[in-house]
Amino acid sequence: MVGSTFPPGSAIEGTFGLGTQLDMLWLVPALPLLGAVINLFAGRRLGKAAGWLGTLLVAASFVVAALAVQSLLGHPGQERLFVQHLFDWISVGSFSVGADLRLDAVSATMILVVTGVGSLIHLYSIGYMAEDPRFARFFAYLNLFVFFMLMLVLGANYLVLYLGWEGVGLCSYLLIGFWFDKTVNANAAKKAFITTRIGDTAMLIGLAFIVWRFGTLDFESVFGAAGATLTQGAATAIALLLFGGAVGKSAQVPLHVWLPDAMAGPTPVSALIHAATMVTAGVYLVVRSAPIFELSDIALPVVLVIGLVTTLYAGTAALGQTDIKRVLAYSTISQLGYMFMAVGMRAYAAAMFMLVAHAFYKALLFLGSGSVIHGMHEEQDMRRMGGLLRRMPVTGSTFIVGAVALAGVPPLAGFFAKDQILELANHTGRPAVWILGTIGALLSAMYIGRLVFLTFFGRPRSEAAERAHESAPLMTMPLLLLAVGAALAGALNLTPEGSLAHFLEPVVGEVPHGEGLAAWALSTIGGVIALVGLALTWLVYASGRVDQTALEARVDPLPRTLLNGWYVDSAYEKGLVAPAKAGAHLLASVVDAKGVDGLVNAVGGGVRWLAGAGRLLQTGFVRSYALAFFVGAIAVLAWVGVRL
Amino acid sequence: MRTPIAYFVVLSAILFSLGTLGVLLRKNALLIFMSIELQLNAVNLSLVAFSRMHNELDGQVLAFFSMVVAAAEVVVGLAIIVAVYRRRQTIDVDQARELRW
Repeated sequence: MVGSTFPPGSAIEGTFGLGTQLDMLWLVPALPLLGAVINLFAGRRLGKAAGWLGTLLVAASFVVAALAVQSLLGHPGQERLFVQHLFDWISVGSFSVGADLRLDAVSATMILVVTGVGSLIHLYSIGYMAEDPRFARFFAYLNLFVFFMLMLVLGANYLVLYLGWEGVGLCSYLLIGFWFDKTVNANAAKKAFITTRIGDTAMLIGLAFIVWRFGTLDFESVFGAAGATLTQGAATAIALLLFGGAVGKSAQVPLHVWLPDAMAGPTPVSALIHAATMVTAGVYLVVRSAPIFELSDIALPVVLVIGLVTTLYAGTAALGQTDIKRVLAYSTISQLGYMFMAVGMRAYAAAMFMLVAHAFYKALLFLGSGSVIHGMHEEQDMRRMGGLLRRMPVTGSTFIVGAVALAGVPPLAGFFAKDQILELANHTGRPAVWILGTIGALLSAMYIGRLVFLTFFGRPRSEAAERAHESAPLMTMPLLLLAVGAALAGALNLTPEGSLAHFLEPVVGEVPHGEGLAAWALSTIGGVIALVGLALTWLVYASGRVDQTALEARVDPLPRTLLNGWYVDSAYEKGLVAPAKAGAHLLASVVDAKGVDGLVNAVGGGVRWLAGAGRLLQTGFVRSYALAFFVGAIAVLAWVGVRL
Repeated sequence: MRTPIAYFVVLSAILFSLGTLGVLLRKNALLIFMSIELQLNAVNLSLVAFSRMHNELDGQVLAFFSMVVAAAEVVVGLAIIVAVYRRRQTIDVDQARELRW
């Protein structure tokens, strides 16, 4: 089976310290944490230096991570596992959990993406957030996020992973609501937190299930014992519960509603958390837990179907958006759907490859959109943009590179990633997945083409668009670097020996193979589809030959439906939120006010009534009291006399 | 020849009844007080009489105790009566009936 564990004793020896490149692994999460602590407590005094501090610490973390991975690469494939024990975290009876870090091929890939893309986004933020009065606080949150994200991917057991999982959720909440004085932003933050919490709760139950069945949360022990311990039903239950967490965190249908609203946060946050890293944590979780998922006959098909549905749903919804960032948000949801499709077909390496490629081009697109928004003075409506390529040449051209990569035009990163997944669908006898996935690819080319043509081509459609200006070098430099990454990330898959898939193989196993249409034919179809999608949108939005208003009127009410994301939000509002509120109101005003309070009031009223009756005996006449004594004394005497 | 015990008991009962009637019927706090003393002394009388009948001193000792307690009670009671009088220029117990519903 794929998703193998390492044989006992094969892990690389190492300690906790500064001795070797691997021993310094703990520094990878520790450096961003240090930045967060400094910026949180002393940030205001640092001024602009707060941003540089945060950026440099994440960059240093990237360097340490790269050194550790380099050292890991020095070992043969089957021995590339390094576990670093920091301290005993929980120890109750026979159950113990350590704060352990685990470096293997999967976590190595993740930490390089997180710290690498993360440090570029930090650099960009120095320019983007320059005018913000809470500049240092922003970097404190951003560093804290990187810390938790690194704990999530480096954790050697589910509890450390869960610590990071909840931590990134918290940072996501703090950063979406960074400008919390606007009600919309504060509500978006709450929505994101509560929606993902639904998934997190499922995941927590899954973890409890694992403890119950295995008595441990350590990855190696759990995966090693999974085959012998779990029945089909237990494996399905655990896998689906864990997948529930992934659905929430990675904004898959039906818990996707928070991500488009999360765009209320500052754009670097959207790039870092809601495109490149946090939302991919769900993919990471499923890849990591693959040995459990594979024991179940149901779990992986469910993942596949959810991924497919999400891809198509979000791909269509993205076509109808008018806000530049919301297009990218739906695009992210759709691309994550592809990753889950890959996972669902057991092609974990393909999912990880897509994850890396996506991190580059989607971070680039988000940062580019941030630069556009900056240049347009906080305008996000694409209908008011146009012709920006001439006014913002660097942003525009790098954005186009990202867009072409996303659309899947060869030879950029997105092409290889998507091509691999679709080829797999074809070769493993899943024609429906292949056809629908290809439609999804067409959709992604179309929505990103629409975005590019509306924003950067044609005539400026507002005064702000006419006066738009290029952003500062501090912001355009990361764009250039990411554009190089987005263009070249495909090279990770060029040669079989040097490929990411080969690197990941010891942990996640081989990508499945099969028979189907020839690979070159599939690649050609993929490339043609991408070009067709871009050409179609060029025809509609940039050629000037199509009357857009008339076209939209003809397909009415489709544009409005897509703009509202197929009205899923309103359906949740009517179907879930409104009944919940009505139920709460019923409980508060009837059950609580009349029932619970009524009972308490009845007890109180009864006592009052009894006391009211009893107090009539208290006349205040001393002599009647004396008479009562007398009669009482006689009565006692009489009783004693009778007894004698 | 000794006086028969019945004489003492009857006298004691008469005194006690007088005291009780006084407590129940009088309105003047001082007179109620005096009636209570009468009750106490009626009991003391029977205590001493029974003590003599049994040729034991227990009853007489108990009578002394009861006198001491009565003296203490007089001190407290009279102080209250004086205080009540100073406050409301009357010691009619029917007038002092604030402690009720």
